[in-house]
Amino acid sequence: MQRMADLNVAETPAATCAVSLRVDALSHAYAGHDVTTPALADISFEVGSGRFVVIVGPSGCGKSSLLLMMAGLRRPTAGRILCAGRPIETPDPDRIGVVFQEASLFPWLTAAENVAFPLALRHTSRAARRIRALEMLKLVGLDGFGERRPHELSGGMKQRVAIARGLVQDPPVLLMDEPFAALDEQTRMTMGDELLRIWSQTRKTVIFVTHSLTEAVYLADEVLVMSARPGRIIDRIPVDLPRPRTYEMLGGAGFAALRDRIWQQIRTP
Amino acid sequence: MTAALSERPAALALLRLAMGAAALGVWELLPRTGVVDPMLLPPPSVVFPALVTMLGRAPIRSDLLVTGAEIAVAFLISVPVGALIGVLLAEDERLGAIFNPLLFFLFGIPKSIFLPLFILIMGIGFWQKVSFGIFSTVLIVILSAASAVRSVRPEHLTVARSYGATRAQIIARVYIPSMLPILLEALRIAIIFTFTAVILAEMYASRTGIGHQIAGWGENFMMPSLLAGVVALSVIAVVINEAIRMIEHRCSAWRT
Repeated sequence: MQRMADLNVAETPAATCAVSLRVDALSHAYAGHDVTTPALADISFEVGSGRFVVIVGPSGCGKSSLLLMMAGLRRPTAGRILCAGRPIETPDPDRIGVVFQEASLFPWLTAAENVAFPLALRHTSRAARRIRALEMLKLVGLDGFGERRPHELSGGMKQRVAIARGLVQDPPVLLMDEPFAALDEQTRMTMGDELLRIWSQTRKTVIFVTHSLTEAVYLADEVLVMSARPGRIIDRIPVDLPRPRTYEMLGGAGFAALRDRIWQQIRTP
Repeated sequence: MTAALSERPAALALLRLAMGAAALGVWELLPRTGVVDPMLLPPPSVVFPALVTMLGRAPIRSDLLVTGAEIAVAFLISVPVGALIGVLLAEDERLGAIFNPLLFFLFGIPKSIFLPLFILIMGIGFWQKVSFGIFSTVLIVILSAASAVRSVRPEHLTVARSYGATRAQIIARVYIPSMLPILLEALRIAIIFTFTAVILAEMYASRTGIGHQIAGWGENFMMPSLLAGVVALSVIAVVINEAIRMIEHRCSAWRT
């Protein structure tokens, strides 16, 4: 039975995958002194298990807020979020791992201790923590860097550590909030490839927020395009480029067409 | 040249020792050669024996103990009280908005002008020195603790929360390690404030304490004793300072 499911996944992923995360009629408004500012308006979508979905939108569209809500760090005014069939109301590291922008590592901990931080919160034994952390560091290509402190690591390496930390409790869903935004162009490309490699090895559901259209098309199975504030989903674009994605695809007509389609949506207010 | 020196700690230590020895040599030579009146500046060969004799006398030792106790009590009260107030002011925006300007004004005023007031209110004695020491120290602790709280990065709090950290875990694993470098630096500066305040209070009006003795030796033109007292207090201050700095260094190696 398990094998059958796996075969199906390999052949027609979108059609047979179980829903991993569902956002249901979600709205959010910030309450001010006398006016409430709508930030997110009636957002609904679902992400199939093992899919890589990218959310793009102009800055200030509320895509990061949406991600914080999916992480259980912020409560929406209305609507709900379901992960593995159960609502997300508070952070639940068993179901959802989060990778933030740069500077999210604790500078007073080593790379291995940073990766093991979520386990330390749950009183996992020191030895077990260490084994798991080193295993995760190996997965993200940082074998032998466990004792380094964040200030001894490059920007790309820091984000590898952050990804390892996000995966350390083996959650089915990984949320990523512009994780490569602070990196230079070259590192960003490398990290994109690395992330896809890690994703294909771990088969996590990834929801990735970015404002880079190229990054969105390069990484995604599906791109959700958000409008300017109040943010709503204005388009869902399946990316049918073959995997593994390669650098050469960036110059292809299919790639350009997808990127243009997103750009047309975002530029018109 | 300087880079090469910093890579050779032994050579650097040797040079620093030589500098110290040279300074002592100059101090010895100035009065001996008559450049400076030896009555005003007795040489170290006179001052250090005076220091040894002084430390051998029971009344002086008890003066040192009194001063030490006053500094310790004032410091040990100022630090937790100041840290608590500072954290409250940084965490509660309204409290901060009300009290911060007041604290900044108070911080800018030289504390010594309040000394006569303390004598009138508290009389002359142990608690007068302690209370003046607290008054001089607590403000710097409050301001440092508040800025230590503000140095905690919101990103780090978000990360901890997203991994399900409880409030106690956030305090123990994010707040305290983030604040530690600034707090330890503050302690080092704070104890200088306490030291200064207590000695000043003793010199101004007191019956006990090493500050009282130093003032007396000065008034009576007992230069070897006066300088011996200065050397003794300097050594104590440097030792305390370096001890805190060593802890500081170990706890904030990541802050580079």
